Amino acid sequence: MDIFSNLAMGFGVAFTLQNIFLCFLGCMIGTLVGVLPGVGPVATIAMLLPITFGLDPTGALIMLAGIYYGAQYGGSTTAILVNIPGEATAVVTVLDGHQMAKQGRAGVALGISAIGSFFAGCVATLFIAAMGAPLTKFAQLFGPAEYFSLMVMGLVFSTVLARGSILKALLMVFLGLLLATVGTDLETGQERVTLGIQQLSDGIDFAPLAMGIFGFAEIIRNLEEPEARDVVRGKIGKLLPSLAEIRQSFPSILRGTAIGGILGILPGNGAVLGPFASYAVEKKIAKDPSRFGKGAIEGVAGPESANNAGAQTAFIPLLTLGIPPNAVMALMVGAMTIHGIIPGPQVMTKNPELFWGMIASMWIGNAMLVIINLPLVGMWVKLLKVPYRLMFPAILIFCAIGIYSINNSVEDVYFTAFFALVGYIMIKLGYEPAPMLLGFVLGKLMEEKLRQALILSRGSFTTFVERPVSGTLLAVALIMLVIAFLPAMNKKREQAFQE
Amino acid sequence: MSEQISGEPDKKSGGGLLQDVGAGLFLILISLFFIWQAWSLPLGSLRAMGPGMLPMSIAVIMGIGGAILMTIALVSGGPRLTRPHVRGLFFVLGGLILFGLTVRWLGLIVAGPLAMIFGSFASEEVRPVEAVIFAVVMTAFCIGLFKYALGLPIPIVAFM
Repeated sequence: MDIFSNLAMGFGVAFTLQNIFLCFLGCMIGTLVGVLPGVGPVATIAMLLPITFGLDPTGALIMLAGIYYGAQYGGSTTAILVNIPGEATAVVTVLDGHQMAKQGRAGVALGISAIGSFFAGCVATLFIAAMGAPLTKFAQLFGPAEYFSLMVMGLVFSTVLARGSILKALLMVFLGLLLATVGTDLETGQERVTLGIQQLSDGIDFAPLAMGIFGFAEIIRNLEEPEARDVVRGKIGKLLPSLAEIRQSFPSILRGTAIGGILGILPGNGAVLGPFASYAVEKKIAKDPSRFGKGAIEGVAGPESANNAGAQTAFIPLLTLGIPPNAVMALMVGAMTIHGIIPGPQVMTKNPELFWGMIASMWIGNAMLVIINLPLVGMWVKLLKVPYRLMFPAILIFCAIGIYSINNSVEDVYFTAFFALVGYIMIKLGYEPAPMLLGFVLGKLMEEKLRQALILSRGSFTTFVERPVSGTLLAVALIMLVIAFLPAMNKKREQAFQE
Repeated sequence: MSEQISGEPDKKSGGGLLQDVGAGLFLILISLFFIWQAWSLPLGSLRAMGPGMLPMSIAVIMGIGGAILMTIALVSGGPRLTRPHVRGLFFVLGGLILFGLTVRWLGLIVAGPLAMIFGSFASEEVRPVEAVIFAVVMTAFCIGLFKYALGLPIPIVAFM
C-alpha cells in the first residue's frame, strides 16, 4: 500500500519547523477558544482568516485545522470543570464529567478525555489516510446529479440533527439557499437581489455572515442570559487515570471512536451527533445504567472519543468531494480558495503535499493537544475566571479588526452588524442558525450542479432518481426526513437532545 | 451554537406574540422581499434556467413554509416571544458600527478604545474605569499583534 509512503511524505511536510509551529499555534488558539464559552471556532476562524493570508496554503490550513480540533479538546475542559459546555459538541461531557470533578476526580476526567481523544484522533487520521484515495476515485464517478443529491442529503441531515422543530430547521436551510442566490448569476452575469450595492455583486460574503450570526449575536444572547459559572474549586487531583479506570473505559473509547468516526463522514454535520449517540450506547450497554449522570467514567470516555473522531473524519467530504459538511469546513473552503486551491477530488492529485501534510499534521496536533491540555489545565482554569464583562469587549475588538482586515473594507463591518441583528432576531424567534449557514455554504454549488444536471437531462427531473447513486442518496434523505417527521420519532429525538 | 432556544415557555414572556407566529412572519417578509427583487429577472425554463428561477422558487417555498409555521402556532399555541435585550443590541452593535465609522478616519488608536468602551456598556456589570483601562491595553496589544507582528494594513493613527 502506498498509504505509508504518502503519509511519510505528509510527515515530511508537517515536520518542518514552520508547520510545527503553526500547528502548535492553531492548537493553542483552538484550545483557548474551546475553553472559553461563548467564543466558537466558527467566529474564531473567520476572525483569524486574515492572519493566514501571508502564509503558504499548507501552513494556513494546518493552523486552521489545529484551531478546529483544538476547540473540541478545549470544550471538554470547560465541560468538566465548569459544568457548561465550552463547545456545542461537549454538551454530553458535562453530564458525567462535571460529576466526576465534584467528586474530586476532575484530573482523571480530563485525563481520560485527553487519552480517548488522542486515541480517536490517531485512528481517525489513519482512517482518513486510508479512505482518501478510494473515496477520491469514487468521487470522480460523481456527475452533477450525484453532487446535487449528496448535498440535498447533507442538508436534510443537518435539519434532522438540529435542535428544536424540524420544520423550522428546514426553513432555515431554505433561507440559507435563498441568501446564496444573492449576487451575479453564474451563467448570464445578471445581478440578482443586489440592491445595486457593489459589494453584493460577488454574493454575500461568508465571513461577515458567520461572524455576525455566530460571533456578535451570541455575545448579545450571552449578555441577556448570564450563565452561572460553577468553576470547580477543589483540587483537580491526579491527571493519570489508574490502570483499572483505563481498562474500564477502553471499550467505551473504542466504541466512541467508531461511532463518531462514521457519523463524522456524513455531510450535514454528523459530527455533532457522535457524542450523543456514543453516550446513549454506553448507557444502554452498561451493567448498571444508574451510574450515568453520577460520574461514570465511560460517560466521559466514549463521547469524548466520538467527538474527536467525528471532528476529524468531517474533513473527508471536504477533501474528497469538496463539500463542506459544516460551517467550520466552509471556512476552510474559503481559506483554500483564497490561496487558489479549489477543494475537491483534484486536491489529492494536484496538491499532494497539502493533502498529506494536513493529514499528518492532524496526528501531530493531536499529540500536541495532550501536552497542551494536561499540564496547562491550571492556566485554563484561571482564564475561566475572567469575567464576561471583560471578555466580550475583547471579542468585539478582535472580531472588528478581523472582519475589517479580510478585505480592508469598512462595509464588511457594517454587514457584520446587520447580520448580527438578523442573527439575534433569529435566536429570539427560536431559529437554529447552523442549518441556515450550511444551506448558504452549499447554495452556490448546488445551484451550479442543479443547472448542469438539468441541462444534461434536457430539463427532466427524473435524472436525479434514475441515476442509481443519485437516486439512492435522495431516497436516504427522504427516509430520514419522513422518519424525523413521524410523531413518535419526533418525541424520541427531543428526548435524545434533552438527555 | 444555541442551547436555550428550545420550545419551553419562558417566565419572562408576558402576553407577547407567539414565537412561531413571529418566526413565520419573519420568513414571509424575507420571502416577499426576494420575490419583489427577483420579479424582473427572467425565469428561463427547466432545460435552461434563468437567473430568476432559483431565487423565485426558493422564496415562494420558504414563504409558504413560513405561513404553515404560523398557522400551526395559531392553532396549537406554543411559547411566546421574550423581550429583546435592547441594551445589549444597542451597545454591542453600536460599538461595531463606531469602529467602522472611525477606523479609516481616525485610525485604530481611536477606533479601538472607542468601540470597546462603548461596547462595554452592553453589560449591566460594567465598571467604567476598568473598561477604559482594559480598552487601552487591549488596543495596544492589537496594534502590536495585527500591525507589527502580522503586518496587516490597518490604519493606526489617522492618515498614516
